[in-house]
Amino acid sequence: MKKDRREFLKRSGCALGMTALASQFRHFGLMSALAQKAEDESTSAVPSDYRALVCVFLNGGNDGNNTVVPLHSSTSVSNFAQYFALRNPYGLALAQNTLLPFGVPRMGNLTYGFHPALGAGPYSNGLYELWGQNRMAVVANVGSLVRPTTKAQVLDFAHPKPYGLYSHLDQAVQFQTARSDRQIFSGWGGRLADQRTASDNPGALVPMITSIAGAQLFTAGQTTLPMAISSATTGLDQVLNPRGYDGSPDSQAQLAALNALRSQDLSSELIRAASHVTDQAITLNSSLQSYQEISVQFPPTGIGNQLKQVARLIKKRTDLNVHRQIFFVQINGFDTHRQQVSTHNSLLSQTSQAMRCFYDEMVAQGLADKVTQFTISDFGRTLNPAGTSTAVGSDHAWGNHHIVVGGVSTADFYGINGTNGTPFPTFTYDGPDDADTGIGARGRWIPTTSVEQYAATLARWFGLPDASLAAVFPNIGNFPISNLGFMGAA
Amino acid sequence: MKVIHFDRLPLILSPILAAIIFLAIPAGAQDDQNPNSPTPVLLSTEDSTRVLAVNAPARLGRDVKSLKSPASFSQNGKAVLFVTNVRLMKGEDHTAFRIYAEDGLQHLYRFPVVGLEATDKTGEVFAITFEVRDELGVWDVPPRGEVYVSVAWRGLESNRLIMTLGGGSDKTMLPAPSRESATSPMPENVGDRYSGDRIRFLEQATFGPSPALDLRVRRIGIRGWLAEQFDMQYPSAGTPYPNFPLRPTTLPSNCNGQIDNGEPDPDPFCYSNHYTQYPVQNWFYKEAFYGDAQLRHRVAWALGQIWVISGVDIQQSSHMVAYHKILSRNAFGNWRNLMKEMTLNPGMGDYLDMRESTRFYKNENFAREVLQLFNVGLVMLNPDGTVQTDGQNNPIPTYNQTTVGNFTLLLTGWNLCEATLAQCPNRSPGSPNFIDPMIITNPDNHDISAKTLLTYPGSTTTNVPACDGCTGTAVTTYANNSLNQGLDNIYNHPNVAPFISKFLIEHLVTGDPTPAYVGRISAVFNANRTNPTQLKEVVKAILLDPEARGDVKTEPRYGKLREPVLLATNLARQFDVRSFDRTAQSDGVLTAETSPMGQVAFMAPSVFNYYPPEYIVPGTTFNGPEFNLFTTGTSISRLNFVNALVFNGVPLNAERRVTAGTSLGFDDLQSIIAADPTGNDMMDVLNIRMMHGTMSPQMRATILNAVLTVPASDPLLRAKRAVYLIATSSQYQVQR
Repeated sequence: MKKDRREFLKRSGCALGMTALASQFRHFGLMSALAQKAEDESTSAVPSDYRALVCVFLNGGNDGNNTVVPLHSSTSVSNFAQYFALRNPYGLALAQNTLLPFGVPRMGNLTYGFHPALGAGPYSNGLYELWGQNRMAVVANVGSLVRPTTKAQVLDFAHPKPYGLYSHLDQAVQFQTARSDRQIFSGWGGRLADQRTASDNPGALVPMITSIAGAQLFTAGQTTLPMAISSATTGLDQVLNPRGYDGSPDSQAQLAALNALRSQDLSSELIRAASHVTDQAITLNSSLQSYQEISVQFPPTGIGNQLKQVARLIKKRTDLNVHRQIFFVQINGFDTHRQQVSTHNSLLSQTSQAMRCFYDEMVAQGLADKVTQFTISDFGRTLNPAGTSTAVGSDHAWGNHHIVVGGVSTADFYGINGTNGTPFPTFTYDGPDDADTGIGARGRWIPTTSVEQYAATLARWFGLPDASLAAVFPNIGNFPISNLGFMGAA
Repeated sequence: MKVIHFDRLPLILSPILAAIIFLAIPAGAQDDQNPNSPTPVLLSTEDSTRVLAVNAPARLGRDVKSLKSPASFSQNGKAVLFVTNVRLMKGEDHTAFRIYAEDGLQHLYRFPVVGLEATDKTGEVFAITFEVRDELGVWDVPPRGEVYVSVAWRGLESNRLIMTLGGGSDKTMLPAPSRESATSPMPENVGDRYSGDRIRFLEQATFGPSPALDLRVRRIGIRGWLAEQFDMQYPSAGTPYPNFPLRPTTLPSNCNGQIDNGEPDPDPFCYSNHYTQYPVQNWFYKEAFYGDAQLRHRVAWALGQIWVISGVDIQQSSHMVAYHKILSRNAFGNWRNLMKEMTLNPGMGDYLDMRESTRFYKNENFAREVLQLFNVGLVMLNPDGTVQTDGQNNPIPTYNQTTVGNFTLLLTGWNLCEATLAQCPNRSPGSPNFIDPMIITNPDNHDISAKTLLTYPGSTTTNVPACDGCTGTAVTTYANNSLNQGLDNIYNHPNVAPFISKFLIEHLVTGDPTPAYVGRISAVFNANRTNPTQLKEVVKAILLDPEARGDVKTEPRYGKLREPVLLATNLARQFDVRSFDRTAQSDGVLTAETSPMGQVAFMAPSVFNYYPPEYIVPGTTFNGPEFNLFTTGTSISRLNFVNALVFNGVPLNAERRVTAGTSLGFDDLQSIIAADPTGNDMMDVLNIRMMHGTMSPQMRATILNAVLTVPASDPLLRAKRAVYLIATSSQYQVQR
């Protein structure tokens, strides 16, 4: 049975005006692929609950070594004294009494500390408090990998390693595509939406994915084209609203022409691509014309306004007829080669304040454990600082610690154990966990947990069945475990 | 519909042959030479819309007419098709051709072309060997069934014919191809001879065509105009660089843009002028709007998107001006010289932290990006810009972390020129010297150990020996020599020519150039390695290349999205940009207007520029860097930008420091449509000026229809509506 494409468009809520519809026939090949999928999966039920993933991209490579720090003095694993000895002479170590302490079951209840910027601030109590409420988890030493990799294998030319290691663009892309052996042109968020849109969001008025941070590879699927809108400084009713149209017959004539032009001259693929995106925007605009303001006050920062816009959309979820959503936000500036102390403090504070306000708003909307925020970043940074004194910073490295907030199971460290029997790296230059060798070694941690494992754990919670894991994460089979447990039963 | 078959081939060829004047353009040629290449013709099987093709390898050397096409071809196999009506330049090979296939889902595939062979001595029919798979691997293999296949060469697409893949009975059947372009769609019905090419040229070489500039080029020809541009004074006499002096890093209370103790800054512009990029941004737009040295300004704008520094971190306008002077001074200069000046530019030193890097406290930032982003890239390239792969089909890395570490050491010890030396003439005590090139400030900060450099085929000096026991000025000399050796080592890397050539083509002409085009430019780059005007030759070659030139380009992926800054300047220049009240020049304050579209001049979000050089447009398989800025949100911002500029202009605004504002003028259009209320004359003019004659009949009818709903008594509104509808259309937003 072959469903009519037009009927599918109507059913999926992507109903367009007749003029616009005509233009879709050339480039809605995408939609017909979706229509096909909808038929294939007609047996699966629409989810009864709402869930969302919010990807928080710490752009530039967050210094995880100063985000999660050992506070204990145990000699069984790297302790505060070791951290301090390696970073303090340059001025990059955080003072012991400023770190925000918490116990870690996975580490034999040893104490670790968060960067002080994760504490209370001007807009909220910060993320730190959520550890005590079991709403926050740390996934340690995550990074791009093609296969599990030991130090010996780092040095072995034949062992497959991520392309463009230590390069921003490439490593950031790998976090977004969940594929480190070669470049691909879709992100894991986009592919997850490809898999789930038809079954989870039938009749939705918006795509499953929204970016508040422009075009991002994470959000691009093969059949999913994300919505991308600006942050909360613009109301939802205005983000996609073309100006100059007051509904008068005269302006309607101009609007009709504006719309009709998008169905013409589509033999150029560039024109087709531009018209397609604009078509989508015009269609989505009509779905965003009313919205309720949220109740929590967000910080007036870039990341604050992005997450606030996400919160507005989530509040409108029933209107938009969505059951599963994926969002992307970002904060720039984490490439702290220099002046890291003040910069990193400010960036982490903005991140923590905004993520906490967002969490509080989700609590207000009754979605505390239904909406999960998680961080990604290009890479971690060298334990060995770059520069010194007020200019001190750190350079590009590899494995990094990431934070998950929302529907987590238990506040703990997660990830695959490394050479010391824990997921947390050993602070030794040219040690077993350092990808660098020789006297110039600077502490670039070899990840024990891959992006795929981190992402698959989140995708599973989102509702991706085991059978579809490989479709979203082609290399997941290279890793022994696909559920790290931080979102529930392994 | 017309189909090419053998019996009629001579008939079709002869008039086209007669029309072919174009070949490689001889030096010193006049500009009314035909800039158009012939449109390739794909051969069909007799009396059908099916492509004539055979499995590879084809046995040639006999009459292609006698070849029998198999009923279907295997997916992932190799096949040969035949093309005629092309005339190749010396050295032009299979990499000048692309084969496109479109399936029933309108997925466009690009099949890798692997060979080209003349089928007989006449050289009229060429056999092209290709693989049946998507070159970029965005889609899986094409589905079983029929696809439309076409050949593109120099931006011109052939007729489309049907090819069957995979066989079987349940295959997709496609309707007979409706698009045929077996003859060039030359828009000679509008404009004068080659006006299409001239406008296209000006879109590539300037910040936008204007009627006056078009006239100038018509008089002196493209080559004459280029020659004039290379020697043009820059910045133009009316728009000198902003000249605000160096200031202390700590903001003085009388120049911090804030109210201290109830007292605002005595000069309300002090903070904006000194401590922001406001004057540089305004100057930039004014030079783009009114300046004569358009080509240098445009090339400097492109170079600034590879050697990126940004007002996000750069504090003062004077710092940015010093950096921009390097870009503009070297825009037609030598790449190696640009490399050195940029490496020692204090703004760059600050932005990428080289000035913080010492042998005690190393900072890898600049060392990494001077390799990765500015010169070499991460993977080995062929001279035509394609990626070299190893036996397992993996790209071959150009270097590793060890190399980055060594270049970091090689570049230690440089810092701002603060000494009382002749080489620091711009030193200004209390205000860091962000003008003069950096120097070795303290020899003890420079690493004197041995370093290994890049190793590549043909590399000569691949290490810098230690300077054992050196101290003082011996170290300074050593550091300078090491810098030169290091930069030579980078400059001599075979990647640099294709890397830079492709980048410049992408910025000036088209986002996805053929390897043949990149290869031709790369060869010019390499042939002029020691020429002090190397980039002049490169720019000239890019703009005069047959893949750039021609009245119309029909290849489905030819062209580029206009980045927001260029969208703004093209509209402004085309429509008599002036101040808001139209009595003076625009002040160039457009930051707030372009920002929602994702681009603010001199404020790139990071060293990765506003958009990456490689960006596959979602849902497609083509490279379109500027599309990285094109989303649902910004597509509407673009409509709103055009709406504001065309219908309202930018009014004065004290808070935003808009002192004169900006507006467009439509006097000429207004009189044209008043004189011919049918609107036809105005549409002709707009078709030439904005669409270089490519406006389709439907597009014209749609716009004219909307224009005529405005009463004839309001010719200005009629003109504005027409301009708005063209400027917001994807047909215009994409520059082809």
